[in-house]
Amino acid sequence: MTNSNNTNALGIIFPNAYDELVPELTSERLMASIPFAGRYRMIDFVLSSMVNCGIDNITVLVRENYFSLLDHLGSGREWDLSRKNGGLNIFPPFAQKNMGVYTGRVGMIASIVGFLKSQKEKYVVMSDTNIAFNFDFKALLDAHIASEADVTIAYTKENLPESILKADELNKGMYYTLDLEGDRVKRIHINSQETGVKNFSMNVYVFEREYLINLISEAFKRGSTYLERDILVPHLDEMKVMGYEYKEYAARIDCLKGYFDANMKLLDNENLEALFGESPIYTKIRDDNPTRYVNGASARNVMVADGCVIEGEIENCILFRGVKIGKGAKVKNAVLMQDTVIEEGVQAEYIITDKKVRVSEGKELKGTDTFPIFVAKKQVV
Amino acid sequence: MGKEMIAMLLAGGQGSRLYALTQKLAKPAVPFGGKYRIIDFPLSNCVNSGIDTVGILTQYQPLILNEYIGNGQPWDLDRLYGGVHVLPPYQQASGSDWYKGTANAIYQNISFIDRYDPEYVIILSGDQICKQDYSDFLRFHKEKGAEFSVAVMEVPWEEASRFGLMVADEDDKITEFQEKPKEPKSNLASMGIYIFNWDILRKYLIEDEEDPASENDFGNNIIPNLLKDGRKMYAYHFNGYWKDVGTISSLWEANMEVLDPEHSGINLFDEKWKIYSRNSGMTGHKINTGAHVENSMITDGCNISGNVKHSILFAGVKVEEGAYVEDAVVMGNTIIKAGAQVKHCIIAENVIIGQNAMVGQMPEGDEAGVATVGPGVYVGDDAVIGPNAMVSDNVKDGDKQ
Repeated sequence: MTNSNNTNALGIIFPNAYDELVPELTSERLMASIPFAGRYRMIDFVLSSMVNCGIDNITVLVRENYFSLLDHLGSGREWDLSRKNGGLNIFPPFAQKNMGVYTGRVGMIASIVGFLKSQKEKYVVMSDTNIAFNFDFKALLDAHIASEADVTIAYTKENLPESILKADELNKGMYYTLDLEGDRVKRIHINSQETGVKNFSMNVYVFEREYLINLISEAFKRGSTYLERDILVPHLDEMKVMGYEYKEYAARIDCLKGYFDANMKLLDNENLEALFGESPIYTKIRDDNPTRYVNGASARNVMVADGCVIEGEIENCILFRGVKIGKGAKVKNAVLMQDTVIEEGVQAEYIITDKKVRVSEGKELKGTDTFPIFVAKKQVV
Repeated sequence: MGKEMIAMLLAGGQGSRLYALTQKLAKPAVPFGGKYRIIDFPLSNCVNSGIDTVGILTQYQPLILNEYIGNGQPWDLDRLYGGVHVLPPYQQASGSDWYKGTANAIYQNISFIDRYDPEYVIILSGDQICKQDYSDFLRFHKEKGAEFSVAVMEVPWEEASRFGLMVADEDDKITEFQEKPKEPKSNLASMGIYIFNWDILRKYLIEDEEDPASENDFGNNIIPNLLKDGRKMYAYHFNGYWKDVGTISSLWEANMEVLDPEHSGINLFDEKWKIYSRNSGMTGHKINTGAHVENSMITDGCNISGNVKHSILFAGVKVEEGAYVEDAVVMGNTIIKAGAQVKHCIIAENVIIGQNAMVGQMPEGDEAGVATVGPGVYVGDDAVIGPNAMVSDNVKDGDKQ
């Protein structure tokens, strides 16, 4: 039985998708657990969006490097996903006898076909975690149902980011742009190098559950790997694939610089309101005390989470939980992740510090607008 | 299996001296320190001291308190056996009764306590700000072989007559109890935190209930009766931070002391003794260009464009351009509009302070009153609210109070 407030859909999340775009941040974690916007991790956005839309049976298909994600998600309680029916399910590789390490979505979904068959929801909503959004999945589902599509793909209209266009190595991950006729997807380009405004797929999909099970089971038998390349691209004539333009705020993480910029954009109150205003984004609670500004502190245009102690000057910064800024320190244009310590007298500009970094007394650290300095987790400068 | 010690938290007080703040709110639910409510302190102390079973005795305006406590998860008190339980007065076969006094509140819940078959029961008060390790208190109680222990604080002799005082010998054995005496024989003030051996407390509660002349109060009845019978009673000296926040001025003062942990002794930044609370779930706070923030505490969801000096802002407070906030306690989701001046005051939750309005003023000479604006009040543009004012109804544009 489903609750009357619930949406008749289950969720599948791919937390490792696009790990390779930000190798600096994913050496000890995956895309889904990259800290973002002061107190969140990337997966919080898709999880909260789903929960806020009444999707409360959510499967996370982890592949590798997922300790930080397990630690973050716990039982799923913070997202109201610690449930007897549905709730949060995490499937690692080898969770069942017949599961191995998979490369593409086809293998990953095939590995949970048994689980999918036993579920009750009529629809499946799938998403990666490289985009921070506050997505109204109900509207997406309504559009899917109204158009009687086999598949609906959400996309944004935007210029493809330079980092993606420039990437030439094979391991940079595939991205997809859509050619539309009306709302019908006529062609899917893989790794298009064309410039100009494109229909940039968000890799957010809606399928009917039964349809998805058949599609994946067949494709898996044929040895297919990728949902897009091996199933959608060759069959756009037979399948009714529809596009759904997502017009709300979306922050896409495409590289380290893009990560820096996406954080900085939230210093604009309009963007902050656009991302967080609609419905709450939940995250793991740390029980920090409020942030304390001590005499001599100065703050201009900053977003600061709880648990920080500010004794120096900060300007145009995002401070995550538990950051300390020492006396006389000046930090400008920076993203400082959890528990970063900036000691007395430090001068820093255009830097990204990962968790638990310490910049010791009097050090000078200056990156540039186009190339922010990155300090890896637990490093002492 | 029985529990060694469970806690009973008295949270039924009306808090009438907090006036506008407690008209629709039980005193333990009053917000404190930027993101907490008063009750977070005893609850966090319990869980940090290894007490996993807490009964909360509510009576007055319990709705928000009940919702806030919920299943106790924020304090890690959602347990299979034990955990936190809200205990309002309830209908029994022999009729129903409000809690007549502190002792009666526990008496009516004897069957709750019996379910856990504890050796000891600690009685806590829901209207104090205090970080205390109850396990150290219990160790003392056991070492002394006590049947009853009370936590006491040394207070200045000149203030002693405002308190319930314990007169104790060199071995901390209590010989006399004085309730707010004119001539104090001791300066050991009772903090209203007691540990009882459950069998003793149970016996005295039943006897007290049978006495029609009793006020059913710990201080006035139970403790004097224990003394009369020569029970083994000891005073446990506590010398950490402790503050009864029962009045507007003490509540304001305790909040201000949070801003100065180095001197006041109330440190909320203690990793080893965290104070837990239910989270607002808002984004990090935002300090905009042109804002000025000095010696203040600011939490999630705040958006600051004006000046904030020596103040505590709770979740979701907005301070617009040109507004000035000093020595103020501003509770959740309150909006201080452009040009408003908010000084030396407590502003409750969901208040709107209109443009260029003035609330409170910095102390001058003898005039050192703390202005208070109750929850949900709308203070109109250009309105003026003087020091000492207590506002619980909307104030029209340009009005003076």
